[in-house]
Amino acid sequence: MLTLLGLTTVGSIVYPLGRFLAPPGEKDKSKQISLKRSEIPAGEAKDIPFAGMPAMVINLPGRGFVAFSRVCSHLGCLVDYDKVRNRIFCPCHAAVFDLEGNVVTGPPPRPLQKLPLRVEGESIVIG
Amino acid sequence: MWAKIKNWLEIRIGLTELIQTQLTEYRVPKNINLFYTLGFVALVFFVLQVVTGFFLLFYYIPHSETAFRSVQEIMSTVPYGWLVRQMHVVGSTLMFVCVFLHFIAVFFMGGYKKPRELTWVVGTFMFFVTIVFCLSGYLLPWSQMSYWATTIATTMPTAFPYIGDMVGNLMKGSPQVSGLTLNRFFALHVTLLPLILVILIGLHLFLVRRIGISSPPFGRAEEAERPWKKYHHVSHPDGHPFYPDFVLKEVVMLMIFFALMFFIISFLPTLLLPEESNIAADPFKTPAHIKPEWYFLAPYQMLKIIPNKFLGISLQIILSLLFILWPFLDTKEEVNILKRRRLLAFFVLGVFLWVVFTIWGKVS
Amino acid sequence: MRYILPLFILLILPSVAQADWKEQFEKEFLTRPWAGVQVQRNVCIECHSSEMMKPEDRDIPRKWETSWHSQNGISCHNCHGGDPNDAENAMSPQRGYVGTPKPAQIPEFCGKCHAGILKNFLESGHGKALKTSGKGPNCVTCHGSHTVQKASIQIINEPLCTKCHSYGRVKEMRQALLLTENRMNEIEKSLKELKTEGVFTEEEDKSLFSTQAEFRILFHTEDVSLVKKRTDEFAHKLSSIQAKIQKTFEEIKFRKNFSAFLMMIFAGMAIGFGLLAKTPKE
Repeated sequence: MLTLLGLTTVGSIVYPLGRFLAPPGEKDKSKQISLKRSEIPAGEAKDIPFAGMPAMVINLPGRGFVAFSRVCSHLGCLVDYDKVRNRIFCPCHAAVFDLEGNVVTGPPPRPLQKLPLRVEGESIVIG
Repeated sequence: MWAKIKNWLEIRIGLTELIQTQLTEYRVPKNINLFYTLGFVALVFFVLQVVTGFFLLFYYIPHSETAFRSVQEIMSTVPYGWLVRQMHVVGSTLMFVCVFLHFIAVFFMGGYKKPRELTWVVGTFMFFVTIVFCLSGYLLPWSQMSYWATTIATTMPTAFPYIGDMVGNLMKGSPQVSGLTLNRFFALHVTLLPLILVILIGLHLFLVRRIGISSPPFGRAEEAERPWKKYHHVSHPDGHPFYPDFVLKEVVMLMIFFALMFFIISFLPTLLLPEESNIAADPFKTPAHIKPEWYFLAPYQMLKIIPNKFLGISLQIILSLLFILWPFLDTKEEVNILKRRRLLAFFVLGVFLWVVFTIWGKVS
Repeated sequence: MRYILPLFILLILPSVAQADWKEQFEKEFLTRPWAGVQVQRNVCIECHSSEMMKPEDRDIPRKWETSWHSQNGISCHNCHGGDPNDAENAMSPQRGYVGTPKPAQIPEFCGKCHAGILKNFLESGHGKALKTSGKGPNCVTCHGSHTVQKASIQIINEPLCTKCHSYGRVKEMRQALLLTENRMNEIEKSLKELKTEGVFTEEEDKSLFSTQAEFRILFHTEDVSLVKKRTDEFAHKLSSIQAKIQKTFEEIKFRKNFSAFLMMIFAGMAIGFGLLAKTPKE
């Protein structure tokens, strides 16, 4: 009786421990998004969904492509790329981010989340 | 098969004799009570803290910008991370409860008297190390609760003239609680304090075994231990065998405490993790009702009601010194507290005041 | 034991000498953040709630304290500029003080922060009316100024809107907004519940906020057909948030059950070992 209880205890500790320690698995290929370079003209930005989160890719003239999450680090509104003033702007409380994602002015406490991006020939791969 | 292994060990380390002297023929007093198990339970809880803490280290990132998120990830993303973290949090409170009950029990049963003064003193240092453990560990999740409770705790020493500010700065590593504070608290919590506590535990256990377990002073006539003039190991030839009798008692108490821990985790998961613990630390915004963790409420409340900060801190220091040096202050030979009305009253008053201050600290 | 009392007395003397008792205690103790009471200096509020002010102006700080701005740490200088820490230069233009806006300039005043809404408002009938004839609603008309509260559908109501025109079109707009508004309120309630259960809901909070903001901005355009068109889109977003919340509630239940299971095991072991301990020895 006690052995059964003991075994159950050991089992209900070993199983969660195993799951706790186990590595999270291969990088989910399906989470990657790829698009063609030609889809984003110079100086423009394109909205893309990335892993269920609104994101955008900007084609910065002279600096290449860069990808950010569109979720403002303040309260979550979606930011937009302002190509006239060369900045990223949040319409909710007038937050301004620079093109590195750093906060220039406004209430956000943290920089905008940058997404990993690589250019492979004619394609851009995010994730 | 089993016999073969036993024999292999026997001819190398004298296994049989070891089992006999340390377990089956090692005897505990006949009138031993359940309170004697608390030391063991506290030890197991410490080991639990080390184990859960170790596993938390796999996913926790000790930097002011990532600490909070890493803890939230442990709670929501890592499989069963919530269980490990809750065990660490609830375990720490229960360890403190255990240690506290153990201290009260030893005091009540006069276990600090000659020749056990050193055991008591080592025990008080273990208690203080436990307190520093709690203090340093509390900051690590870097939540609003952590940040501001630590601000309070590290501002208290500044009440001292001259050295106060220096002590405060030394603790924080910067004028205000910051990432530097997090780093040094982390270093303390994870390396130095465990090392110190393990050494103190070793010393404490050595003293307990070397001198011999005391008997509860109630009921049975105390053996002729007094007056203590020369070293001799206190043995209880007509007592219960340590193994299996007392070990079973210890295990039962341990299981009860574990069941209690899982009860709190299941039905009161927010008892020790209120809303502020789920909000990232914001140095510019003090939450409305910040309080230290429950075990610090009594000294905190005491400090609040004494209008003079310096007096308040001095009082705390005096009380701590009283606590450490108690065996040297109470040198009466009578061990049974029930026969010493004044001491009993002092004891009851002390515990009562502590409880009252804790509750007062919570509601005010 | 006998040294305690003298030691005590010895320490009282320098302590008494050190402190000027109550005043110093109050000043130092109560202004420390850890004393539980935060007393921050704000010269704007100090002057504007004092006897120097006209009675009707004296009420402003109190009104502000009831506002949603105040609860989110937005105070006088965030809108009016100036320096809240320096009494002499508090209202100096060099410190950014802009004073009180004229009614037609109010949208730009609030739009310093609420930029998205400003854009929509200026393109709407209300905005155009305000700018061309000077007669029209501005932000304060519906939201109040110092008493501004969290946005809700209650702001759109008959007594308010019929001050200037009939309620017919307003009703249509309100109808179009209502369903989504209700769902958003429901989600907000669920998120609050999750918070009390100790869950960290930042992602869902942000998702909801962004949806709410986008949705409410729409009202300022006064375009009912636009609202109706985009309601489905919003419903979709809200559904996915609700699905996540549902999953979280289920996860909480699982955790409770699992740890209760562990509790039962250990309780069983306690009983088992307890019984074993009580068995009479051979």
